[in-house]
Amino acid sequence: MAAVCFSLSRCCSAVHRPAVTAVRFAQTAAAPAAQPRIKKFQIYRWDPDTVGDKPRMQTYEIDLNTCGPMVLDALIKIKNEMDSTLTFRRSCREGICGSCAMNINGGNTLACLNKIDTNTSKVTKIYPLPHMYVVKDLVPDMSNFYAQYKSIEPYLKKKDESQQGKQQYLQSVEDRQKLDGLYECILCACCSTSCPSYWWNADKYLGPAVLMQAYRWMIDSRDDFTEDRLSKLQDPFSLYRCHTIMNCTRTCPKGLNPGKAIAEIKKMMVTYKQKDAVAA
Amino acid sequence: MASLIRLSSVWQRGMRPVLLCHTQLSRGSACPRIGDVDYTEPAGRIHTASSSTGISASQHWTGERVMTLVLLGMAPAAYLCPGPVVDYSIAAALTMHGHWGIGQVLTDYVHGEVKIKLAKVGIFLLSTATFFGLCYFNYNDVGLCKAVVMLWQK
Repeated sequence: MAAVCFSLSRCCSAVHRPAVTAVRFAQTAAAPAAQPRIKKFQIYRWDPDTVGDKPRMQTYEIDLNTCGPMVLDALIKIKNEMDSTLTFRRSCREGICGSCAMNINGGNTLACLNKIDTNTSKVTKIYPLPHMYVVKDLVPDMSNFYAQYKSIEPYLKKKDESQQGKQQYLQSVEDRQKLDGLYECILCACCSTSCPSYWWNADKYLGPAVLMQAYRWMIDSRDDFTEDRLSKLQDPFSLYRCHTIMNCTRTCPKGLNPGKAIAEIKKMMVTYKQKDAVAA
Repeated sequence: MASLIRLSSVWQRGMRPVLLCHTQLSRGSACPRIGDVDYTEPAGRIHTASSSTGISASQHWTGERVMTLVLLGMAPAAYLCPGPVVDYSIAAALTMHGHWGIGQVLTDYVHGEVKIKLAKVGIFLLSTATFFGLCYFNYNDVGLCKAVVMLWQK
């Protein structure tokens, strides 16, 4: 039976070969000289090394026929072929490193996950992440963001560390599932820098990205310091500057929901045993 | 990402990797705060704007939610059994709700110790005036429930 099938399929493929070849030819042939699709990109430029330089918008024109589909492709093309002084962060080009977070056409997103708007009559505007100190061009200073992330102690903490390293800390399937939608965060800071509360109080409000990671460790069944983590948010700023504006969830390039995580923290803040945490 | 975190932790312990040197990272006013502020305990060094009453931030938050619900419940109460009790309850709840709400706005937008103190005095005066104004209206005039009813009467 198998042999029959095999020979049949061979036979069929032999019959269809000319057609297949034609299709293949169409795919690999040089594209007919299409009309150039010139797209304009306006990009924020600022060079701190040039004394007295003021931030400005610089326009670049790119033929979309010779450029990859994503905004990051356009940026790399500009840097390679047109203006090597253009500065931006990029690494993985597939939405897993979070380096190329920037403000594209008014929304924070990853340049590598954002398709170029093929409507050539519209200009694509690219700025660094809003309300961050700019190091150069599209590179924001992330020091404060990382320091805030560090402040929530984003790692497993055990009260009894005598068993450390002897065996794995096991977790039920249900407990593990609670972490889905939280652990995927790549800390690109798109959400935090889209939050008006974070704009006004970035020094004291932790921001959605960091709070979601705080929640991720609070609900980890293996972590013993949930109450302490909660009690560290007992001030008007760290957590309670969130007013459920939900820009964070709207902008997240990974499709996560920091707004919900913050709401869950607020619920936990009401019910946890505060005295235990203080005593501990 | 992970390496950056590790680098920054090394850095905070006192060693200064060449690439993260102050002069290299901070350009002009790009990052004036590096090294000046200890971020290890943000909750500890944060000034408390609305905890002067001695309650924790989460209790304050819960109070706000409860007050919102109470205020919502007062609408049908005022419709079903208007009278002085509901009048004065609405006056109190409305004042408290507004006081906390504006307090949140001030916490968001008012920065600087002197300005915060001024704002606190201002909001206290405003809320006091609101409450006693409403009470005066309840005592000397028709009362809040009746006043709302009169909006629909000619």
